[in-house]
Amino acid sequence: MERTNKTIALIIKLIFWGLLAAFFVWAFTNSMFSTIVEQPDTFFRLLGEHVTIVLLSGAAAVLLAVPLGIFVTRPKFRKSEWLIIGIANLGQTVPSLAVLALAMGFLGIGISAAIVALFVYSLLPIIQNTIAGIDSVDDDMIDAAKGMGLTNSQILWKIELPNALTSIIAGVRTALVINIGTAALAYLVGAGGLGVWIFTGIRLFDNAFLMSGAVPVTLLAILIDYLFKWLQFALVPKGLRLARKAQNS
Amino acid sequence: MIHFNDVTKVYNGNVKAIENMNFNVEDGELVIMLGPSGCGKTTLLRMVNQLESITDGDIMLNGKSVKHSNKIEMRRNIGYVIQSNGLFPNMNIEDNAMIVPNLLGWDRKKMRDRFNTLMELVGLNPDQYRKRFPHELSGGQQQRVGVARALAADPPVMLMDEPFGALDPIIRTHLQEEFLQIQKELKKTILFVSHDIDEAVKMADKIALLKGGQMMQYAEPAKMLNKPANSFVAEFVGQDRVLKSMSLYTVKDLATALTLKPVSESLEAQNINENLSLRVAISKLLNQEADQLIVENNNGTNKGSITLDLIEQFLHREIKESV
Repeated sequence: MERTNKTIALIIKLIFWGLLAAFFVWAFTNSMFSTIVEQPDTFFRLLGEHVTIVLLSGAAAVLLAVPLGIFVTRPKFRKSEWLIIGIANLGQTVPSLAVLALAMGFLGIGISAAIVALFVYSLLPIIQNTIAGIDSVDDDMIDAAKGMGLTNSQILWKIELPNALTSIIAGVRTALVINIGTAALAYLVGAGGLGVWIFTGIRLFDNAFLMSGAVPVTLLAILIDYLFKWLQFALVPKGLRLARKAQNS
Repeated sequence: MIHFNDVTKVYNGNVKAIENMNFNVEDGELVIMLGPSGCGKTTLLRMVNQLESITDGDIMLNGKSVKHSNKIEMRRNIGYVIQSNGLFPNMNIEDNAMIVPNLLGWDRKKMRDRFNTLMELVGLNPDQYRKRFPHELSGGQQQRVGVARALAADPPVMLMDEPFGALDPIIRTHLQEEFLQIQKELKKTILFVSHDIDEAVKMADKIALLKGGQMMQYAEPAKMLNKPANSFVAEFVGQDRVLKSMSLYTVKDLATALTLKPVSESLEAQNINENLSLRVAISKLLNQEADQLIVENNNGTNKGSITLDLIEQFLHREIKESV
């Protein structure tokens, strides 16, 4: 059973990489990335803008959403959960384009509107994953910690956060990967980014522009995803990895 | 050491979980709180280290009211063991076991020495397990670490909430016996929650039997078995309570209380060590292995013989005496 599963997984992987390779061969033979080759300076400027928008909005979201998630899970403030989640949900359910437009309404044209819009957009996954992570910490563990005389803040730092870290990082990872895609819309509020080439490509029916913008965005998303996978491995205590393995086996 | 003074716990203003509980746990005693689920035994235990608040009355720990003590400081001086061991998966075994000393600010050398001593005490090799993580250990090993952790800062008092309840019977028996040995050495004052009458009979100096938040009987195991205070106690300890109580006496106890019979040549005989329990003796006699048992001490010296009549005589005496 396990053998056949592994074979199927291998075949799917091979097909995937094959398609990817075929795509790049096609793209290069049709000089789809000619725009990058011809205008490297512009490319790096747009890439820089794109990354700046994603990272600044993401960092701000982490700085607000993780403490909010922690705040909501304190027994005293548990009742505020619906309110905070409700507000964050609002940011998420409104289409990203509308959030951008609203932000532009307040902040005018430019990069700050894009950063604020994406910041609002990233809050929900991070808050929800922080809450879920802390909630998933075994009550008996907390009980033992309390019974041994750990203070509430010691329980938070030594027990709750380390045990919730996997989930929190997963939330940040989700938020950032979504953001990289959404940041392509930043062009619409005059914030630049690789969206500039994508939209140019759409308007001019010029696939070289389109691909030169879209493919780097995709690669960036994959890169960030891998980076966070590694970060998860590096930051989460070894014992928890073993615990997860033990649970899955 | 632990005095319960009119302790009452009321939930939501009307549900009485504990009603006017009064009893004392003396220094170095192991007291087991026993009772059906929902009887309030765990609540009572958790009131000692203030994980549950006390509605009325007070608990005095070493002469100090737990209500008015600093909770954090007090808890660091009480060993706490729970059923699911509650080890922290993000910390290795040494960090887990040394969490209280760490909070108390011990230096590294002292902690290392303490860890080594404790692991030896609970029967685990310190160097083999130091850097391991909880999930790499079996349930029994985890619970040993749980016990070591509770003992880490050498607290005079221990609270144990069904510490061996989640283990399989063989491992449980092992750990019970090992823990009794540890207790013999350390003489801690222990309050222990259990729902298992056999565990209580085996381990407790005194048993507190609870029902519906009230004390049904507080007595030594032998007394509770031989002289249950009411029908609830009699039912809870089981109809075979007299047989159970036999495991509390050794052949030696009988030999000291009554004069042994001379060995009769006409009866079939077997030898029995005087340190074995009377329960074993009865079992041997009933099993048709022999009609009399020749009592011998550790050196193999013959001290006389016992028969079922003599055990019956001893039983009557004990039951009468414990009135």
